[in-house]
Amino acid sequence: MFEIFKNGKKLLGMNARNLDYIRPYNRKKAKKLADDKILSKRMLKKGGIPVPKLLAKIRTVEELENFDWFSLPSTFALKPNRGYGGGGILVVYGKKKVFKCVSSDGTETIPDPVWIKADGSKVTVEDLKGHILNILDGAFSLANMPDIAFFEERLTLLKLFKPYAYKGIPDIRVIVFNHIPVMAMLRLPTKESGGKANLQQGGIGVGIDLATGVTTTAVLGKGKIIDYVPGTRMLLSGIRIPYWKDILLLAVKAQEVSGMGFLGADVAIDRERGPVFLEINARPGLAIQVANLSGLKERLERIKGLKIKTAARGVRVGRDLFGGEVEEEVEEISGRKMIGTIEKVKLVGRNNKTIEVEAKIDTGAGFTSIDTDLAQQLGFEDTVAEYQKIEATYKDIQHLSKKERWGIYKHIPHLESTVIVNSASGSTYRPTIKITVVMDNVVIPTKVTLINRAHLKYPIIIGKRNLRKFLIDVNK
Amino acid sequence: MENISPLIKYFIGQGVPLDTVILLLMLPIVVTLIAFFRQVIGIKAFGIYTPAIVTFAFLAVPQLRYGVLIFVVVIFVGMLLRFALKGLRILYLPRVAITLSIIALSILMLLSFGGAMQRTGLAAVSIFPILIMITIVEKFVAAQIEKGNKAALILAVETLVISLVGYYLASWPALIKGIVAFPWLILITIPINVFLGKWDGLRLNEYFRFREVLKNLK
Repeated sequence: MFEIFKNGKKLLGMNARNLDYIRPYNRKKAKKLADDKILSKRMLKKGGIPVPKLLAKIRTVEELENFDWFSLPSTFALKPNRGYGGGGILVVYGKKKVFKCVSSDGTETIPDPVWIKADGSKVTVEDLKGHILNILDGAFSLANMPDIAFFEERLTLLKLFKPYAYKGIPDIRVIVFNHIPVMAMLRLPTKESGGKANLQQGGIGVGIDLATGVTTTAVLGKGKIIDYVPGTRMLLSGIRIPYWKDILLLAVKAQEVSGMGFLGADVAIDRERGPVFLEINARPGLAIQVANLSGLKERLERIKGLKIKTAARGVRVGRDLFGGEVEEEVEEISGRKMIGTIEKVKLVGRNNKTIEVEAKIDTGAGFTSIDTDLAQQLGFEDTVAEYQKIEATYKDIQHLSKKERWGIYKHIPHLESTVIVNSASGSTYRPTIKITVVMDNVVIPTKVTLINRAHLKYPIIIGKRNLRKFLIDVNK
Repeated sequence: MENISPLIKYFIGQGVPLDTVILLLMLPIVVTLIAFFRQVIGIKAFGIYTPAIVTFAFLAVPQLRYGVLIFVVVIFVGMLLRFALKGLRILYLPRVAITLSIIALSILMLLSFGGAMQRTGLAAVSIFPILIMITIVEKFVAAQIEKGNKAALILAVETLVISLVGYYLASWPALIKGIVAFPWLILITIPINVFLGKWDGLRLNEYFRFREVLKNLK
């Protein structure tokens, strides 16, 4: 019980977020910037940060009446300038083909364009007008203040995200504090969220390891832990986010431009343009902690007061401090698994007999060797018994040709071959059998030599031949 | 009242009714309770004004159940109208105006229906608590637009819960006696609110919200 309250101190709650972080670190002016999307877009652009293009804005009912609807492209996002929590955003994905109408007196009229939404429903100019009127009226803004509506370029979906996202564009939320990225998540739009990536609206949040940019755990909506995209078998963990370092860098740069000390930066990845900065959030939600199964407060407190001079340095500090497994990164780069000098292995013998043992990793040995007892347990009783009947030392058979030697052993059941093994205790001829070794989830079908290892600590050593897919860390 | 503070006697002497004095002194306690619910427990409700005013509306109806009934009817009709008016595509204020009008008519029907069922207590509810409860629908509609139906309904239920707790607290005889005897005690709510305003621990409901994270932390 007390454990829970102690661990609670590592989490950032609503009270602490508002009182300890938003109030002292986000100056009022800066907060205003974050709540004004058009202004922040302009500021970010000036600061050299790529943002989605502003297509048009509508400030008054008069502007709305005079608006040229034909100037809009076939796909765009319509947003309230001061909206929050993703409310009031309307996205269209295509334009319906319209044909010229020729009336009986010969005058040609072109009907108003019609767009299509994510769910296939039509959006007419009338629909847009109604929506914009609501925006202007403040239906989606904080405290119902009158607002401005604007049209924005819709980004194109990265191929990598296609199977994970429903219609909309996934984005990456990075919490930045004191020029250091603290926590990140990938936000995926779902059917329930209507193609929007906000968790409040029912999107999916997937935690991201800061060091590697590889996804970890996932949350649906505000609190349900999930492994797969609902209704599919798409695993949410292990997605490698491209441009990871650039994304973190953009987030930190945006913090510098905004002048806020604590913020949520939303970055999307466009198929052509790469990382594009979406928006600054002065009141980032707390569900990111659930997506990462990790506490924000603990992290924020660790970096409070650090002096960070450049964005690149901040990114490095964040990745070092809060990135989980750097090992994973080495594995990713090399394409090899990292193992220690002693590893648990699973051995699969005849008739699928399976035994789990600890194996010694021996880079001095060529072949993998197993103890005769172990071989018996793996279903090679006959092989071991027959082999032990043959009294022949290395010296006895040294002079024989390969064929002659094989003649001595070939009647032994399930024997693969015999090989010469040179070791510190002298050279020996050893029989080999075929088994499957499973180490760190890598399946290796292999020949292993048989030898009596009863006097040794480990019943099996893994030799060089079977270590090609691994890197060995002697500290592990 | 066996034990009346001189201060209260003074107010009464100036012609302020005792009920009014008690209600005004109760207000700091009720709003502190609401602040406590928000900051420590995590029950949000519609801000601080709405649960406070609903608490006093409950105190002003002759029987609590009629107050609750009116509250539930107001929220229920408000919700139905949201769906009914969706197709109309009209702006915010006119929409709230229509909602309020129809709710007023519904309450009128409810009162007369109560009369017909020989529930005279219902019809005897005075106009001010009724008006107060009708106006909360604006908060409800705003929450529906901003946060969606489900969230708005949760907020409404939270408002009802806080108002009920507030009602029982404010009508608790021991507390009323205490205030009448020692009205200065009300000032304690100020340091309590200073403490609540600096409380940066997790809210009780956040322990629930982050249960999976808490399980995972070591």
